[in-house]
Amino acid sequence: MVYNSKLFDVIVCGAGHAGVEAALAASRMGASTLLLTGNIDTIAQMSCNPAIGGQAKGQMVREIDALGGEMAINTDVTGIQFRLLNESKGAAVQSPRAQCDKKAYQFRLKHTLELQANLQIFQATVTGLIFTSGKVIGCRTNLDLDFMGKTVVVTTGTFLRGLMHIGQNKNEGGRLGDFSAKTLSNSFLEAGIELQRLKTGTPPRLLGRSLDFGKMQEQKGDTQPTLFAFHDTRDPQDLFHVEQTGERRLGWKPGFEQVSCWMTHTTAETADIVRRNLNKSAMYSGEIEGVGPRYCPSIEDKFVRFADKPRHLLFLEPEGRSTNEFYVNGLSTSLPFDVQVEMVHSIPGLEKSVLLRPAYAVEYDFAPPTQLYPSLESKKVENLFFAGQINGTSGYEEAAAQGLVAGINAVQKGRAGEPLIIKRHESYIGVLIDDLVTKGTNEPYRMFTSRAEHRLLFNHGSAELRLLHHARALNLLSPQRIARVEAKKNSINTWIKRIETERVAGHIFGDRIRSQGVDSPTPNSFDLVPPEVRQEVLYNVLYKGYIERERRHVLKLEQTEKIKIPADLDYSSVRGLRRECAQKLAAFKPYTLGQASRISGINPADISVLLVLIESTRAGQGRP
Amino acid sequence: MSRYLDTIAALATPVGTSAIALVRVSGPDSAQLVTDIFGEAPAPRLARHADYRDRQGLVLDDVLFTFFAGPASYTGEDSLEISCHGNPYIAQRLVEDLLSRGCRSAEPGEFTQRAFLQGQIDLAQAEAVMDLIHARSERALAAANRQLRGALGQQMTGLIDELLIALARVEAYIDFPDEDLPAEDRKIVENQIANVLRGTDRLLATRHYGEVLRHGIKTVIIGEPNAGKSSLLNRLVGKERAIVSPEPGTTRDFIEEVINLGPHCFRLIDTAGLNPKPGAIEELGMGKTYEIAAEADFFLVVLDATSPTPLFDIRLSDLLSPDRVIVVVNKIDQPGSPSTLEFLPPARSVAVSAKTGLGLEDLRSALIGLADGLAPHTGDDAIAINARHAHALNQAKADLASAQLKLGENAASELVASDLRGALAALGEISGRIDNERMLDALFANFCIGK
Repeated sequence: MVYNSKLFDVIVCGAGHAGVEAALAASRMGASTLLLTGNIDTIAQMSCNPAIGGQAKGQMVREIDALGGEMAINTDVTGIQFRLLNESKGAAVQSPRAQCDKKAYQFRLKHTLELQANLQIFQATVTGLIFTSGKVIGCRTNLDLDFMGKTVVVTTGTFLRGLMHIGQNKNEGGRLGDFSAKTLSNSFLEAGIELQRLKTGTPPRLLGRSLDFGKMQEQKGDTQPTLFAFHDTRDPQDLFHVEQTGERRLGWKPGFEQVSCWMTHTTAETADIVRRNLNKSAMYSGEIEGVGPRYCPSIEDKFVRFADKPRHLLFLEPEGRSTNEFYVNGLSTSLPFDVQVEMVHSIPGLEKSVLLRPAYAVEYDFAPPTQLYPSLESKKVENLFFAGQINGTSGYEEAAAQGLVAGINAVQKGRAGEPLIIKRHESYIGVLIDDLVTKGTNEPYRMFTSRAEHRLLFNHGSAELRLLHHARALNLLSPQRIARVEAKKNSINTWIKRIETERVAGHIFGDRIRSQGVDSPTPNSFDLVPPEVRQEVLYNVLYKGYIERERRHVLKLEQTEKIKIPADLDYSSVRGLRRECAQKLAAFKPYTLGQASRISGINPADISVLLVLIESTRAGQGRP
Repeated sequence: MSRYLDTIAALATPVGTSAIALVRVSGPDSAQLVTDIFGEAPAPRLARHADYRDRQGLVLDDVLFTFFAGPASYTGEDSLEISCHGNPYIAQRLVEDLLSRGCRSAEPGEFTQRAFLQGQIDLAQAEAVMDLIHARSERALAAANRQLRGALGQQMTGLIDELLIALARVEAYIDFPDEDLPAEDRKIVENQIANVLRGTDRLLATRHYGEVLRHGIKTVIIGEPNAGKSSLLNRLVGKERAIVSPEPGTTRDFIEEVINLGPHCFRLIDTAGLNPKPGAIEELGMGKTYEIAAEADFFLVVLDATSPTPLFDIRLSDLLSPDRVIVVVNKIDQPGSPSTLEFLPPARSVAVSAKTGLGLEDLRSALIGLADGLAPHTGDDAIAINARHAHALNQAKADLASAQLKLGENAASELVASDLRGALAALGEISGRIDNERMLDALFANFCIGK
């Protein structure tokens, strides 16, 4: 039965961080969009820590803003503590991070979705997809209502056959208190999509009034908060808050009334408790088959793998302004509940703490992302897109970035337009998606700045400038904002040119800045330039040599990125291609020659052979 | 117009001694290279005779070069063909110099590929090109794999692992700033970089031995005119070699032959006819003979047994250490008094007659004896790197030096990391691309990460 006889342009299954960006992007591009979620009250839930940004992720959130996404502005408006990380490591790797009010974050996003034109939200659990001849055409739900769409974006997070572990205790579900999507996995398997298991975990939540903050070290926010959205180019109405708009939407002025986090550490007693009970941990008793992330190990792992380290740092992060709940960053575990209590009580400041929710590990299905094109469309099923944890990633920011791209590309697919493929040298989002679809992942994939070979081009302030051409080509921003970004870009370039040509006391300003630092003299009116422009100009001047070096590398790489490989290329018939290489490429279906060159085991000669073939075919087609 | 941004260079004729070696260059920088190397404006399709000067301004050889402006060239883009003397050593030096000027070493079949892509060739021709690329790359791959399975591969792995850990040490503090890591100690990184630098130097030192293995031990025959150098060369080679009278200014000024003795390969270079009398070197400037002698492994100092006081250039004697010299007293079949060798340090001495062959076996044994002591002290296995390896190692060295400088200046970590990544990429050109995942493996193995 079809509840809504309408044929949607895009159906998004799941309203987590990936799903909401996908739905917003699609509907903002004018596509009729349906967002299905198992529970409307948990839209954009922060299932793990109540924070957005941090290393590389912070830059990625700004990139999302540059492409018209919602995560940045939502974080600014609901953030309760802001810090700029890495101030001493160099300008490119400085990353904004914010603690958010978990509930406010959700409510504001829910409200944004509700008010969005072209978008319908509906609460139903997707139980299966509807296919016809290798294409997806809609989905089934637990309410026995079917929905039809030209394209479907799947963003199931940890809910696909989600299984939670607390010691020997097991509960089905993608998150404590939530359900597990059990039958949807079968739908994928039927379509020939391979699934594997991953594992992640979350620490216990504590009651604030049971904590002794006097024994902890306070970590305050920055007095000058670094925000995520580009408020200098955004439209004024984007920054609504309660006092300023007639609509009763939630939010307050970004960066106001910040709250603190608190630092404490494990003790020798904690280590002892963990070691004594290791065999009771789900991770160590063989209960869990999925692979967990190396960068976010459980406390068991930390004591076992780094046995000589006497103590581990813990952060207590407030979950919001209107709750007394605290998140214990660093204490993820799958030990039984009684051991968790004993362990928590061995920590300074937490001796008498009350646990509101236990820590747990969760296992879930993911679809190895090498089964996707760089557009995030499935190679197996046409019109089907995947984004977020189902692709093996971890983190809200990684999910949101993929959701945004998948949503845009679902619309483009329906309109037979060119997909948005962001390149590795343009942004962290480009690195993220290229890594996923080219290399795949064995553990929940998290972005690091070190994954980006061109990270010196990716300073957070330049996100808008780097991605402007994509935003313009796909109309992802309002015409007014595009105009403002263009004006900003021009202003930056003009200033760079002035500083690199004009002289002070016989020296080029730029040379003086590079040799003597940013406090060297600048042309007169440069002081009056807005800080966003100023920072970009100085960045470009200071890093001139490096930026030029990176750009030279990029120019070379772009050659092969431009050459698309026909999807129907019969590799087995290509003369001069090694057989194992032909098989690998046939299974992989690389999108461009550049992507092919990054597949492991493909050597330059193979690429040369492919290049010759593609060019000769193209030359042949071009003839009358 | 070229569709490529990079300029490629390679030796186009087979490696080995032939009369002429052809070095081919193709790409947008070709015209600039003509100006830089030969100091003249490129004139298309005109064979020019000129000195090839390397980046330090030293003359490597006098060559014939022809510049072709695209599309009227073999590859269809600007290109340059340089004919130098067939000495593999000279050809290698030229290629190396081109690489150091920013050219990239051409992949197997790449010139043909470019030729194909610049023109519009049908599928049949394309398939022929693909077959060619395939065949050449299989050979190149097999050769590279053989090398990497050996001691070179092991040394490279050692260097790369150390560099990965150094990089991980920098990256850990960039990517995990809020972690409970021990205080950052850049001294450790500096030490690791120093270790890697020592390793690259060790490998670069085998460069010469690599040349020796590939092209023979460079053995220069010196001595006054009429001491019998040419006869000795002919006797060692075992055939009557026509002594080509060099055409002025066009061919090389020395004669070269390759012989195998025992397990060793020797490249005998006869400086016949050009060995200057004392004082003449100054007139010739840094003459060819002196240049060649400066790079010789061994010397055969030929003395005339019938001439009591040989004329000998003292400058050359500076190069003559006992472990590199065999004094060959020639013409022992003729009556005369033995020469005095006061100007030489004590060295092995063999008495021969190039004319009759008397004593030649002694000379052969003496040469084998010298060569046995030549293997470099890099470990049990012999390692031999080639010009491409050397180029990559030098690039890695430059990046590492830059990283050291930045650490010294207390520069931002992201800039130090940028250099270390450059060095890693350069080493990857020898060992195969190094995936970033290996750095992350090193990072997570060495640091307790995770909140």
